[in-house]
Amino acid sequence: MSHDILAVDDSASIRQMLAFTLKGAGFRVTEAVDGQDGLDKARGKSFHLVLTDQNMPRMDGLSLVRALRGQAAYRGTPILMLTTESSDAMKAQGRAAGATGWLVKPFDPNKLLEVVRKVIGG
Amino acid sequence: MSAMTSGSAERGSAIDLTQFFAVFFEEATENLDGMEHHLLNADLQTADDETLNSIFRCAHSVKGGAATFGFTDMAELTHEMETLLDRLRRHEVVADTAMVDLLLHSVDTLRAQLACHRDGGTDAVAVDTGDLLLRYQSLTAAANDCEEATAAEQTPGTPAEAAEGPTHTIELAVICDDSTAPADILMRMFHQSAHLGTATPLSADPVAKGENRFMIVTSLSDQELLAQLGFHLAPEQVRIIPADIGYGFFSDAPGMPREEGSDAGFGFFSDAPGAPQSDVSPHVESSTEPEPVAAPSRPVTPARADSTTLRVPVEKVDQLVNLVGELVITQAMLAQTSKELDLELHQQIMAGLGELERNTRDLQEAVMSIRMIPMSTVFNRFPRMLRDLASKLGKQVEFVTKGEATELDKGLVEKIIDPLTHLVRNSCDHGIEPPAERLAVGKPAHGTITLSASHQGGSIMIEVRDDGRGLPRQKLIDKARQRGLNVPDSISDSEAWALIFAPGFSTADVVTDVSGRGVGMDVVKKNIGALGGSVDIEAAEGFGMSVKVRLPLTLAIMDAMSVGVGDECYILPLASVVESFQMAPDKIRTVGGSGRVVQVRDEFLPIIALAQVFDVPRRYGVEAGEDIIVVVESDGVRVALQVDALLGQQQVVVKNLESNYRKVAHISGATIMGDGRVALILDVGSLARRSRH
Repeated sequence: MSHDILAVDDSASIRQMLAFTLKGAGFRVTEAVDGQDGLDKARGKSFHLVLTDQNMPRMDGLSLVRALRGQAAYRGTPILMLTTESSDAMKAQGRAAGATGWLVKPFDPNKLLEVVRKVIGG
Repeated sequence: MSAMTSGSAERGSAIDLTQFFAVFFEEATENLDGMEHHLLNADLQTADDETLNSIFRCAHSVKGGAATFGFTDMAELTHEMETLLDRLRRHEVVADTAMVDLLLHSVDTLRAQLACHRDGGTDAVAVDTGDLLLRYQSLTAAANDCEEATAAEQTPGTPAEAAEGPTHTIELAVICDDSTAPADILMRMFHQSAHLGTATPLSADPVAKGENRFMIVTSLSDQELLAQLGFHLAPEQVRIIPADIGYGFFSDAPGMPREEGSDAGFGFFSDAPGAPQSDVSPHVESSTEPEPVAAPSRPVTPARADSTTLRVPVEKVDQLVNLVGELVITQAMLAQTSKELDLELHQQIMAGLGELERNTRDLQEAVMSIRMIPMSTVFNRFPRMLRDLASKLGKQVEFVTKGEATELDKGLVEKIIDPLTHLVRNSCDHGIEPPAERLAVGKPAHGTITLSASHQGGSIMIEVRDDGRGLPRQKLIDKARQRGLNVPDSISDSEAWALIFAPGFSTADVVTDVSGRGVGMDVVKKNIGALGGSVDIEAAEGFGMSVKVRLPLTLAIMDAMSVGVGDECYILPLASVVESFQMAPDKIRTVGGSGRVVQVRDEFLPIIALAQVFDVPRRYGVEAGEDIIVVVESDGVRVALQVDALLGQQQVVVKNLESNYRKVAHISGATIMGDGRVALILDVGSLARRSRH
């Protein structure tokens, strides 16, 4: 079966790249433009993986992770943060929020697929 | 680690990043424009956090995209900008003119770089950024010096001073077999020997039988560090994790991948004992089967994402609206002229003109819709404001919104914010009672303020409703009389409520036990009137009140009725027209000398002869009794306008008379008619008020 991935990023180009790459690998991708949008789209649907940017208007990635972890359906779902910097503070925050891991931007499509496959197979 | 990265690139399918370039260019341009706009318009020293965050996000987005798509020169520059902007938004530094200049200069440079890439791909960039980068670095260096000085002052003798030379961050794994001893040893070593740097555990607690990860900040090289640690830890117990594999997983995080062939080169945290194994399997079949978004074999097209928007300056849209307005006039002119044509001879022309009319109307609607934005942009401002206000007043208020999706012209939205804020604030301040008072009269402790918007014909209705005290009719009347207003006892409720719009009713004048709704209500009414709207109040003492604001959807184009007076043509907003009829002489009464009223069913309405108001010579031969009455209504007041003829109904493009000529009493604007003549648009509200004086 193919997996459903929620890709949350306020940058249209990054979103497009995520969607294109993941769809090309057979995943189903839902795009969201910020944390709030992501949260709205996550409701009532169960994604197998959530990829989220940190720095976004309205709701940032950490808040999204926290909000998702607060929902029964997303308690165990892998959530990867896409961050520009893998600073210690960022990691500590991501960990505290309940993120599964992180992927440092910039990443190329192959790295993305590699990480995604590690988390959900496919 | 680099071997692994390139290895993965080699085996990966050839995903060509260039297909995303177009979107990136567009997005980067938007972000740069946004950044420049903020930099020019906001005073960074006093800018609010949201503005600073917006600027930061612009730089951040450009950097992310640039780095992803291989425009390293842009990534490098935006990285420096981002660093500075981050310090600004954290208020670690205060902005000065030099910084703003530097940022603006960087925006220009980025534009130049962008242009280069647009023409020539990732390489061959002739934009020199060396100077800019140096300036950023000197800023950062200055800030660091300052910080270090402060740090040293505050905590003399801390291990921080022991760290020499540039530090870097690495991740270290300590492998524990039976106990957490090796991890403890590592922490002790770092505690005792400041020159090693600092170690921060990455997992919450040290774990036996597994890897414990540490974040190490050190100035030592990897070899030096391992050598130092080798004094107390066996080489097989310590492993440096390649720093920049670019991703990782938290050892005890939910959603961890199942155990798999652990690839040391990628630095996984192994499953920690006791880590919650996903209680909800990520592989669970979703109950609502999502529709397939795209087949993997879909042809590669650089199509835009679904929910993209195109940002254009408002002036461009306004120009479009104006041009369409002209087109509407031209079309009306052609329609007018064509009436004289012989239908049979010019069948095709007539058909074409009919087509033109339809297309013009469609085009006009489409263009007007560009300017429409949802009311949610206004409504969203209130929850926070109400929360603060309610807690300040010790009240409990529930805020309900309805019809946020209702759209309104952008220009109107901007102008409606202040009056609405006023009304909502009034409801909370004066309408909703304190919890104890509410409970005493059998109401729930928390009051409710409802803000709703809906389309009604050609206008939008915005209602602010609360379930508070309502308005005290008698007190309003008493108050009005004190203010010297002539108020008969028999006035209707709506007229009584309307008294709060009288200019005299300000806060200071209204005693506190009267709900005190006088606060600037006259200003609210005036502002809404200026937008061509009206305000209606409904209230029930003790049960609440509702203020309904009715606004035209747009200010630019209006459905109108044209009437003839003498040789002149006047325009009435169709929304204000109630009915029209031929005046029967026996229905007219004269009151108090010159005043005349006409009986319409059970009501006597004052007659306003437009010919008199505007001093227009009546057309020769018009007999008394041939006059036509148009009943118009504004703010609940009806008056009968006496005109010579009804000319027709059409859409008119509203032109501002004040900016093109000067203000004329009882005239709200002008328009150009189909035959090219200028016709004045009547200000019905002002005419209705005139009848009362």
